Amino acid sequence: MQTLKHIGIIALNTFRESIRDKILYNIGLLAVGLALFSIVLGEWSVFDRAYVIKSTTLSVMSLSGLLISIFVGISLVQKEIQRRTVLTLLSKPISRATFIVGKYLGLLAVVAVHLALLTCIYYSILFLTNSEPTVSLLTAIYLIFWELAVVIAVALLFSSFSSTTLSALFTLGVYFAGHLSDQLLEQVRFVNKMREVSDSSAALLEKLAVVIHAVFPGLYRYNVTSYVVHGLALPDMYLFWNTVYAIGYVGVFLAIASWWFSRRDFL
Amino acid sequence: MIQIEHLHKTYRSGFLMKPKLALKDVSFHVEPGQIYGFIGPNGAGKSTTIKVLTGLLNFDSGKVLVNGISPRDVKSRRFIGYSPEQPYFYDYLTGRELLQFYGKLVGLEGNLLNERITWALQLLHADKDWIDRRLRSYSKGMMQRVGIAQAILGKPKLLILDEPMSGLDPMGRRDVREAILELNRDGVTIFYSSHLLSDVESISHRVAMIVDGRIVREGTVDEITDSCGIEYHVRTREAIAVKDLPEGVVLAGHPQEVICADDVARDRLLRYCLDNSIAVERMEHKRPSLEDVLTEEIARADA
Repeated sequence: MQTLKHIGIIALNTFRESIRDKILYNIGLLAVGLALFSIVLGEWSVFDRAYVIKSTTLSVMSLSGLLISIFVGISLVQKEIQRRTVLTLLSKPISRATFIVGKYLGLLAVVAVHLALLTCIYYSILFLTNSEPTVSLLTAIYLIFWELAVVIAVALLFSSFSSTTLSALFTLGVYFAGHLSDQLLEQVRFVNKMREVSDSSAALLEKLAVVIHAVFPGLYRYNVTSYVVHGLALPDMYLFWNTVYAIGYVGVFLAIASWWFSRRDFL
Repeated sequence: MIQIEHLHKTYRSGFLMKPKLALKDVSFHVEPGQIYGFIGPNGAGKSTTIKVLTGLLNFDSGKVLVNGISPRDVKSRRFIGYSPEQPYFYDYLTGRELLQFYGKLVGLEGNLLNERITWALQLLHADKDWIDRRLRSYSKGMMQRVGIAQAILGKPKLLILDEPMSGLDPMGRRDVREAILELNRDGVTIFYSSHLLSDVESISHRVAMIVDGRIVREGTVDEITDSCGIEYHVRTREAIAVKDLPEGVVLAGHPQEVICADDVARDRLLRYCLDNSIAVERMEHKRPSLEDVLTEEIARADA
């Protein structure tokens, strides 16, 4: 009970810290600007206007959320260490895992608020441009949220033991690997099927692709823009299982980050 | 309250992770109710020891207990209040917001939290307008007071202060000294490091001196300074020729003033003066200060 309370206090402080951070406003303004620009794009495009607006705004939400998750996420722990505020905080009766989870939830709350604000803007644009604002679009936004939940956990994990720059690069690496691992596996299997490479190389390549696919979080699962924009139905229980999948990865990443963080010395 | 036995701590730094022994076989005990001063030159291991006690640093070997609990256990920090050297805080918060944040982390809320904040600020003479300003506008002295205030909010049994007087003007130093004494009267054990040896001498029940990662002296201020030898400065009415000075007695800067290295030399000098009808005008018992002892220990370590 006490631990949950401590997590809440740290999360609230992290939320307060993040919403007073200029970088958040810069990314937020950029997101709003790009969302508004989608109206212009919709007019210019040869494609259906509603399709362009919907897919652009969803991409903007995902991208701006990603920028916040990475750039604020990697600095959360590092800033505490560099500014030495961690010394006073960890001298209180809180475990290092509590600190990590509190920081994580604080930033997750920031991302949730950011997505909620953009969702309001998004729906306003759709209403104003008569672009069929449907409730199903919320499905895509819900999955973007869980994708970002995983990305924040990755950013925190890396920032618990490496520098800010390296953490940013590693997190971006995991993001791209997570989005491309499915395609990579598919491509490798396709090439193997066509027998364009020798057997030993083929087996090795496939093993490598399988490992990447298994280890990295499959973030491609959270991109359902084409489904919702075209009004296609997602498989049964898709949201439930992918929520469980994200929570599982977040749990593992935070556990590793806490373990690593608890081994650290603070000079 | 604090039990440290044979503590060793190594830092590893650089690309090759070259080890550097920061604490070598450190042992001392702090009893409940004591004000315990921890002194030594820069880089001697004071902050390292303090960070081991507060669980911020792991250690290689030895036994460390705070109120009977290892600092590796979060529970040990329920009894501790800690203010780091040159405390840094979240500069986007006001002083009061910061105290509310830390107060909540030690389990305070509502009226009790506000009462404690008021009490802590009054104790440190920090109940001024600036407490509601953002911390980024604070001077070092204000930051130091807020640092100590956050440490005492939970009414800890043990207060650990790393250089609590640094960055303070003479008034600030006096306020912090008085706050330490008052907290100690209320039963709080104080363990603190300081460079200001005159303050350490005036308020500490016991002192540990650390040089180059080793405890070189430990005891009350009197025990430490006595162990370094007591001198007697004697002023006579007429000068004594150098060749006539008894063993253990040397001339001081003035021709009528001599220094006796110990009690035996003092007795020899007094007998000589009696035998030769030389009047003694003044005799001072000179005890070396902590600074003298520390300087001697540093020189010994360097040698």
